[in-house]
Amino acid sequence: MRDLLAAFARAFDLLASGDPALYTIMARTLVVSGAATLLALLAGVPIGYLLARRRFAGHTLLLGLVNTGMGLPPVVVGLFVWLVLARSGPLGDLDLIYTRRAMVLAQFIIALPLVVGFTVTSLRALPERLPDLLRTLGARRWRMLWLLAREARLGLLAAVMAGFGAVVSEVGASMTVGGNLERSTRVLTTAIVTETGRGDVPLALALGLILLVLAFAVNLVLTWAQTRGSR
Amino acid sequence: MSRPGTGGAGAPAVVFDGVRVVRERRTILDVPRLALPADAVTVLFGPNGGGKTTMLRLIAGLERPDAGVVRLAAGAGGRRDGVAYGFQEPVFLRGTVRMNLELGLTLRKVPPMERVARVRAAADECGIGHLLERDARTLSVGEAQRANLARALALGAPITLLDEPLAAFDRVGRVAFLDELAVLLRRRAGTVVLVTHDREEALRLGDHMVVLVAGRVRAAGPLRAVLERPPDPETAELLGYTVVVDGRGVTLGIPPGALRIPRGAVPLAPGARCFRFRVERVLEVGLETRVRGRILTPAGEVATEIALLAGDVPPVPGEVLEVSAAGCVAIGS
Repeated sequence: MRDLLAAFARAFDLLASGDPALYTIMARTLVVSGAATLLALLAGVPIGYLLARRRFAGHTLLLGLVNTGMGLPPVVVGLFVWLVLARSGPLGDLDLIYTRRAMVLAQFIIALPLVVGFTVTSLRALPERLPDLLRTLGARRWRMLWLLAREARLGLLAAVMAGFGAVVSEVGASMTVGGNLERSTRVLTTAIVTETGRGDVPLALALGLILLVLAFAVNLVLTWAQTRGSR
Repeated sequence: MSRPGTGGAGAPAVVFDGVRVVRERRTILDVPRLALPADAVTVLFGPNGGGKTTMLRLIAGLERPDAGVVRLAAGAGGRRDGVAYGFQEPVFLRGTVRMNLELGLTLRKVPPMERVARVRAAADECGIGHLLERDARTLSVGEAQRANLARALALGAPITLLDEPLAAFDRVGRVAFLDELAVLLRRRAGTVVLVTHDREEALRLGDHMVVLVAGRVRAAGPLRAVLERPPDPETAELLGYTVVVDGRGVTLGIPPGALRIPRGAVPLAPGARCFRFRVERVLEVGLETRVRGRILTPAGEVATEIALLAGDVPPVPGEVLEVSAAGCVAIGS
């Protein structure tokens, strides 16, 4: 209990001190996980639409893969991306390993099945005739997708929350493909692992609390948007 | 009451040419050739599963035929702008009734001022002018159906497709809205194609009629012509006729409600036909008395019902009566 209180105090001191290193890590965490979630949304919503509204060869297989992917272990994703991006790997020439872009790619792979899965569920909950109605009213493909997404926004916000929540809290993939380089790829989760390894448990706990507050703040904004959207 | 100078003459609004639709190896629509007249209300009539909604979806471009082509008149301006579709089940997006009615006009790039005026006019016509600011998802079934119709009419498209526009109403609401719809459709210009499986709706709303059974057109033409000359017994029964084969082997259609039990020495109406009728049951339906029984002909027996007029003495089950019917038509002639 005393450790926890000390961690709270330390976290507050760290935030209040305005330590640029800490704020850089916080900003990096938000940017990497935010970018991964955004990319997962851009790719995942159209894929989710196809899975929800169309039948095609391999439909069930793809849906099964998505459902399996929703529980994908981040460290396995990290390993896979590392194998592909490593200097000796097939995309080694791109020189992406141990960069923030590699972390975004790994987190994108983690978030994508979650976004697709939530999109499928929320679009299937819409009235079956809605796409036909929008077509007859004059909506073309992208406008229709936008209008459907607007109708399913509660479910899509849940997809954002699930996707962001999963990637902002994962450590395995970020550590494997980012390398936890202090000035370029260290994020809150990898910093927690580092400080725990160094034996500075109060600092690790304080960083953990900051991560929780950050995740809570983002989810609070999304929840507020969801509540407004349900009206 | 038909629209002035409507239908028949001039170029058709929609042409089905060699159209076939196959689903799961079953032909659900097979229309070698059919032209729907412009500037008229054409009713697609027939039992459920006959292919009526599939025809509407083909016209709207929501489905493609497996063979053949569905052509719209050159003036319709293509499927995106030329067709409005009122679906059977009203579906609304989040937002007010006004937002839902305006959406199609926004998508068709109608200027804002005109949008407002057209939504107001269509809403007033359909009796939902006072509901424009309501959340569309809180409308009652009848209100939703009216809003659904208003959304289609607000588009002012050259071709308006309406799929069972009265299906969601209860009996009282249906009777009231049927009257309004009949007036409303006749007041508006343009072509209307309306699906119904209800005979009364078809007769009240249509200028032209297409009878569809099991995906095939059994009869098509001006309403009166189709009614007066049903091509086969099944179509005649769909149109409400009681079909019997008389002593000379002629297939006759007895119009709905035409059978009467003659009273004493009252002479038969000119052209009326007489039939032998065996009474099976006498039913009290509210204030009305109906006699259920069978018409007896040399070719067989046909079940039917006769409504007794006030003052008629109810017959006894088992009794065989001489009944008459005016306005009988020869079927397939």
